[in-house]
Amino acid sequence: MSKHLVTLNVNGEDHVLYVDSNERLIDTLRHRIGLRSVKEGCGTGDCGSCTVLLDGRPVLSCLILTVQARDRRITTLEGLGKGDELHPLQEAFIEDHAVQCGYCTPAMILTAKALLDRNPEPSEEEIKEALGGVLCRCTGYYSIIRAVRSAVKKMHGVRRMENER
Amino acid sequence: MSDEVVVAKLLRELERKAERGELLYIGESLARLDSLEKVLGRPVYTGDMLPDETVYVKVVHSRLPHARIRSIDVSGAMEYPNVLAVLTHADVPGENISSALIPDRQLLAYDEVRSVGDIVAAVVAEDVRHAEDGAERVGVEYDPLPAVFDPLEALKPGAPRVHEHGNLVKHMKVRKGDVVRGFEEADVVVEGTYRTQFQDPVPPEPMIGLAMPGGDGSLTLIGSLQSPHVVRDCVARILGFHRDDVRVVQAVTGGAFGTKSDEMPVDVLSLAALASIKTGRPAVCSWDRREMMIMETKRHPSVIYHKTGIKRDGHLTAAETRVYMDTGAYASLGVLVIMRATFHATGAYDIPNVKTDGYLIYTNNTPAGSQRGFGAPQVIFAAEAHIDDIARRMGMDPIELRLKNMLRPGGMTSTGQLMDESCGLPDCVDAVVKASRRGRGRFDHGSGRYRRGMGMAILYHGNSLGPEGSDYAVVDMRINRDGRIVLGTGLTEFGTGSLTGVAQVAASVLGVPLNYFSIERPDTGKHKPTGPTVASRVVTIGGRAAYEAAKRLRARLDLVVADVLGCKLEDVAIVDGMAFCKGGERTMEWADLVEAAYERGVKMDEEGRYVVPECKWDDETGQGMPYRQYTFGAAIAEVEVDVETGRYRVTDFYAAYDVGKAINPAGVMGQIEGGTVQGLGYAMMEELVHVNGRVMNPSLADYYIPTAMDIPERMHMFIVEKPGVLGPFGAKIIAEPPAVLPAPAIRNAILDALGIGVNDLPITPEKVLMKLLKKSS
Ligand code: FES
Ligand code: FES
Repeated sequence: MSKHLVTLNVNGEDHVLYVDSNERLIDTLRHRIGLRSVKEGCGTGDCGSCTVLLDGRPVLSCLILTVQARDRRITTLEGLGKGDELHPLQEAFIEDHAVQCGYCTPAMILTAKALLDRNPEPSEEEIKEALGGVLCRCTGYYSIIRAVRSAVKKMHGVRRMENER
Repeated sequence: MSDEVVVAKLLRELERKAERGELLYIGESLARLDSLEKVLGRPVYTGDMLPDETVYVKVVHSRLPHARIRSIDVSGAMEYPNVLAVLTHADVPGENISSALIPDRQLLAYDEVRSVGDIVAAVVAEDVRHAEDGAERVGVEYDPLPAVFDPLEALKPGAPRVHEHGNLVKHMKVRKGDVVRGFEEADVVVEGTYRTQFQDPVPPEPMIGLAMPGGDGSLTLIGSLQSPHVVRDCVARILGFHRDDVRVVQAVTGGAFGTKSDEMPVDVLSLAALASIKTGRPAVCSWDRREMMIMETKRHPSVIYHKTGIKRDGHLTAAETRVYMDTGAYASLGVLVIMRATFHATGAYDIPNVKTDGYLIYTNNTPAGSQRGFGAPQVIFAAEAHIDDIARRMGMDPIELRLKNMLRPGGMTSTGQLMDESCGLPDCVDAVVKASRRGRGRFDHGSGRYRRGMGMAILYHGNSLGPEGSDYAVVDMRINRDGRIVLGTGLTEFGTGSLTGVAQVAASVLGVPLNYFSIERPDTGKHKPTGPTVASRVVTIGGRAAYEAAKRLRARLDLVVADVLGCKLEDVAIVDGMAFCKGGERTMEWADLVEAAYERGVKMDEEGRYVVPECKWDDETGQGMPYRQYTFGAAIAEVEVDVETGRYRVTDFYAAYDVGKAINPAGVMGQIEGGTVQGLGYAMMEELVHVNGRVMNPSLADYYIPTAMDIPERMHMFIVEKPGVLGPFGAKIIAEPPAVLPAPAIRNAILDALGIGVNDLPITPEKVLMKLLKKSS
């Protein structure tokens, strides 16, 4: 099996690694870079819990080979928020009780982030559609949808404050 | 004054406050203590903590549903690169038994396999891939044996025997009054047969267990599981270890829904332990989704017969019910599931004459066990579908029929238990009916292609274990010198937030904010046995234990406050972490109070213990009081059906539950929402298909669970609070009941919309369409 030298930009930091041509992105992220927020629920592309952002778009890291992510920008949950400060989505997930077992949480937050980045004020339908690829067995999704909506409010609040300044 | 007297006084004080609705923190939707680590994606699950030198274990499971094992050839696997060992039954040093209640299942099969989920061997390798490839190289030769896959077939004389002792595992009965007379008194007798399917629990985090060798021959096991002490005892038996040499720690667990209280954690942790002993290294055993769906315990499929007598005025006179449950090749916790199913089989009704028989039956299907609802989803589906069928036969309104016959204070259950004021069923029914479209005006059934219907279902759900096991809880509480309060217990949670609820109870008693609390990981090395974490009993029973510990600590702290501030004991108050005396002017910060207590040598730790008063159940007479308190619930589903395709959607779902006291309302609503959607999956789409014992759809591509796109458009929730006798502040259990009502409510809504009753779950569009076509032809 051939080894490849790849550079991955993960959460703003460059990582240069030798990887096997069949190494899955989820394994590189979890085991070689140590980003354990990336969760494996099926390994077959059906549950969405391994979602990470590739150049800002949600992808299933269990279906992507690391070589395919070469020179691209990858975001995992560890890359959200600044220092001690939580991302508004993280805050909202806590406040709206959108976390139960937590296994889907990284994927849900990242998927919601990708949605809000391209569509800052999504409708309820758009939120459901965006989250439709990530399974949650615990919450019934309602609290997650509420959290996304509160995050929208929080983020607009922030923007307004910035404008006022 | 002795502690006792103080405690008694305190209790009275608390009760008075509770009556005035003044309790701090109780009934507040406080954020869960574990949500921060989870939104940060911290490495808290078992798979996040594997040491570098870990070896991997993958299992070989049976290819046949019933066969004699002729030989197991491990040489191919042993020769494969990076394979370190292959484990078979010969490697089990202790008792080769992995089953909780009836010793009918081996960890590693030695002579016979009885389902395709049976584990025959396990391969230990340097990494997962080599372990998997190695597992494929284990050669097993089988001599097929006759097999049986239908529980009713399995009961017939001459049916292939799954186990030597026969296919009937347990017969359970409830008897009340005289059904013969009851049927004579009836004007009409209605009969019906209802069937339910295998449902897979699909816990989000697949099963995983890590074993780490301690230098002294002991082992530490870390896993995704529900009941650490139960797992410890089972694994120790398999290893031939003294149980003190096995320490089990529950890592943060990504969902369980019952199945992680059964054999699966014992399987993976025993295999990891054996691999660790063999290699001297940490070992992890994990199952992928496909293996989960084949090997984990699932919801029992069932066939349920109902025969009910009714008077023309709508009063039910007699009910005769038979429940047949397929437990697959092993009993697992099925013997308890059939118990709960039999108790609840005639639903939340006061019927004077009842005869219920429940049968738990072996087949060569994969094993069934615990799953959210524990027998209730099957029987309540059947009972509630049957009530609507009766209403149709009688030309009665199904809601009226329920109102006439349902349990209320003063009513009596099928087991002869009298309902008292804590029966909130009438309030639940009232809440959903008033809120529904019908309650708000007239229900429009539509015409043409899209038809609408509404359906109702009600339930009662016995709380905690009842006769299913010894029901107690132990919670340790310690106030550290820095003021932090540490809670430790062998009770666990796997997503519900129940331990936050337990801490909330303690916070309320002590008078300090929730964020002063930390909760230790459940650990058999630290915490006393505390019974299994099943039956949603953590807040109710564990909360009571925490209450006991907290009130004793509080009593001591009150003495310190009175002493330091110089006031009478009865004037002491601690509110939000601040101590003071009523009418006095000085206050004390929590930290200073704790320091003062330490200086005085006050004992700052307590073990809270609560034992549920014994239930009275008589197997012989089929009568008694199986549970000390009940949760009640009512739901209405409103559906819209496309008569051309049979597709339907649930537009509105109304659900009301009597939870006694909602300790954390947001947490309660999370359980109602999550349970409802799991129940919706059971109603509409989920079925783990078995053909001749083989699982045909063991993947999430072929087994659908609800996504965000499938949920009812509007979810209306109502919390009713009729305090019960067990839980702290009257709390009742809530995690399970919400998964029960969607199936019957949706089924009855489709009946209302189209006049067709689908009696076998799940209610797929195909089944609806077939019935429609049959009806119109
Ligand atoms: S792990 Fe399930 S989609 Fe990747
Ligand atoms: S919180 Fe458990 S899967 Fe979503």
